[in-house]
Amino acid sequence: MPDQILKPEELQPAAELVRKTLEQLDRILLGRKELHRLVLIGVLSRGHVLLEGLPGLGKTALVRTIGQIMKLDFKRIQFTPDLMPGDVLGSHILQETGSGKRELVFQPGPVFTNILLADEINRASPKTQSAMLETMQENSVTLLGTTRPLPQPFFVLASQNPIELEGTYPLPEAQLDRFLFRVMFDNVDAEVLEQIISERRRGELPSPTWQMERAQLEMLFATMGKIYLPTPVARYIARLVSATHPGNAEATEPVNKYVSYGASPRAAIAIAEAARGHALVSGRPSVGFEDVKIVAQPVLNHRLILNYQARFDRMTPAKLVTELVGQLDETGLNLPKDVQVKGN
Amino acid sequence: MSINHHDALKTFAARLARLLMLRRAVQWLTVWFFIWGAIVLAARVAGFTQTYWLTLGIFFALPAIIFAALAARKELPVFSKIRARYDQINSCGGIVMANETAETSAWFAQLAPASVPELHWHSGRALGMLFIAAAFAATALLLPERLTHLGNQSHLAISQIVDQLKAEVQTLAQEKIVPDTKADDLKKQLAALEKDSSANDPNKTWEALDHIKQANSDSAKSAAEEAVKKTESLTQAETLAKAMEMAAEKNGAESGMDGATAAQAAQALAAMLNAAKLEEGVLNGKIPPELLANLSGAEGLNQEQMEKLAKALAANKGALSNTMSNLANLKMIDAATLAKMQAAGNKSKSNCEGLALYLSQCKGGGKCESDILFSWVLKRGRGGPGGGGPEAPMDWDNDTSEANIKFQEHVLPPSPHLSDAQLVGVSKAAPELAKADVSVESGALNNAAAGGGSGHAQVILPEHRQAVQKFFKRDEK
Repeated sequence: MPDQILKPEELQPAAELVRKTLEQLDRILLGRKELHRLVLIGVLSRGHVLLEGLPGLGKTALVRTIGQIMKLDFKRIQFTPDLMPGDVLGSHILQETGSGKRELVFQPGPVFTNILLADEINRASPKTQSAMLETMQENSVTLLGTTRPLPQPFFVLASQNPIELEGTYPLPEAQLDRFLFRVMFDNVDAEVLEQIISERRRGELPSPTWQMERAQLEMLFATMGKIYLPTPVARYIARLVSATHPGNAEATEPVNKYVSYGASPRAAIAIAEAARGHALVSGRPSVGFEDVKIVAQPVLNHRLILNYQARFDRMTPAKLVTELVGQLDETGLNLPKDVQVKGN
Repeated sequence: MSINHHDALKTFAARLARLLMLRRAVQWLTVWFFIWGAIVLAARVAGFTQTYWLTLGIFFALPAIIFAALAARKELPVFSKIRARYDQINSCGGIVMANETAETSAWFAQLAPASVPELHWHSGRALGMLFIAAAFAATALLLPERLTHLGNQSHLAISQIVDQLKAEVQTLAQEKIVPDTKADDLKKQLAALEKDSSANDPNKTWEALDHIKQANSDSAKSAAEEAVKKTESLTQAETLAKAMEMAAEKNGAESGMDGATAAQAAQALAAMLNAAKLEEGVLNGKIPPELLANLSGAEGLNQEQMEKLAKALAANKGALSNTMSNLANLKMIDAATLAKMQAAGNKSKSNCEGLALYLSQCKGGGKCESDILFSWVLKRGRGGPGGGGPEAPMDWDNDTSEANIKFQEHVLPPSPHLSDAQLVGVSKAAPELAKADVSVESGALNNAAAGGGSGHAQVILPEHRQAVQKFFKRDEK
């Protein structure tokens, strides 16, 4: 029995929702179309996104706008060194009941929301950072032996400031691996800046003119689950992730030279999910090689652990992934070097 | 003309398969040409001359192509990978790939128009190698035979000839005909020739051997001529000495030789020995000087001295005879020269008794002049001094000379000219026997009687002409 694939009429409503969402994002936040697509892909993939950039580039605004468009509950935690896990997860408070008895009542923390903006997450202590591990992976909170599920959907959009690193605690690899994307916030062009200061008085963002209903969001997630991943593409993702490990047969020379540890199987899952999201954003029912290539870098660039030689040679994970994606034959056809296939 | 993605994918797969098979066939063909060329070259260098069989290697090219195509077909990528590449090239976004396991026909209408991806084979290097390999095989086949045998330094079998020439040189040196230094040089030359002789260029070796043989022959010939002359002189002197001895036995009697005649004869004998120049030349003999001095003196030689002189003369003759015998044993002198030598040393032909009679009758030495004595020594017969000299001898020793004699000329039937010949084939291998059903015809000479001037006219090919001329070459007399 052949696999089921979405028909055009089945995909069309979801594609329309995606189009409208992106349209709102592009209208509210100027000059960051590609970033909007990546963040939306992260949301559709139910992944967490680590936003990295200088202050004032609109990280918080982006997260708040997504929450507004999707009508999702949004909360923000400003991570500081003295922030405690209870400040994030919630705590038990001793309260007097109507019968005069006293009991511990759980007071949910800000993590009980749909979209959590963890601002400057690297300023919290490792103890507090670790408190986020269960929430990000299991979508639940366990306190005093009681596990409480988080509201769905649940996304963590964390930000990280690449400067002023004194007194910060770099995220442990285990936590980094739980982020689907690590997205760099770059400065916008001068034309965009001119448009911002001329159209946005005091930088106030316009309100969204369209909002997604909860049912529509559920339908979007349901459609996302039906995006087809062909076997050759799945094989390509597997080969790509394997090739990030030094010593692998398909590893490039820079990978062998600079990488200490390659990406985990969770990275392969993340690429597959993100590629599905990209296919949906592109209005297609199946994943192609180009989808994988586009999402590979934001998925892999925080999962490769480089050695000291890479620091000396100013080699970054982004460069390594770009080179790896460029050299790896997507189809595994392995034609002889003197035979080339070109499109018309 | 529009084409759907299914057909375009099939066309792409077929073209890719054909291209990969062609590429592999070119590779195998190149390898085969190199191997074939190497085999041909090795066979030819090893001495295999039947290049006809080697050319049959070209027929192995076809199986090589077929097997290469089959091997390439086995190694063809799986269709799903080809489909994936087609999907990628045509930017189908995985829809064509998904069509392998899912029904995606509804999406095909939304894809870009189908087109067969172009295949490019950068075949310059492969075809270049194929051309080089083919050229190598062709060169190995067409290489001239003299170049294929460059590495073979086969020696000529000249040891027997060299040994003979060494023996000749040794004999010439022993007989003092050539100096020892020259003999040593010739021996060294012969050893070097034997070591360095090459069958690839035999003319050089043969010319050098001929040169040494000619030099030996010339030395022997000049020595033989000298020996003949000296032997003649010694025989004459011996004859005169014998005649004097016979005449001296009658000394004192009325019929014996008187003292004046004896002295005159002794002086004539001395003059004869001096004229012989025994001490000169390569075959120098020796007469005791006191005998020569007494011979030239007024008293002449007594009986005992005459006997000594006769012995010395005989010894010198014997030495010369031995030398000539040694040269004859090695065939360094011909039979005519040897016969001359024997004739020169034959005393029986001289008129010894007549001369003795003449000397005994020549009283007072008045008529006993040297010229007359010489003529008596030289002439034969038994003529008396008063009868006008010795009678002309009749013997059978002197052969009739063939010089300046013309024979009657006969015109021989014309032989077939080489230009009229038909080349049947050139083969260095052993000639093959004709089949039994092929009759042997001798053409115009059919049923001709042998020995009647209609003998088989052998056609001498240009490359054999020099050898034949050398074989039939005779020394000019």
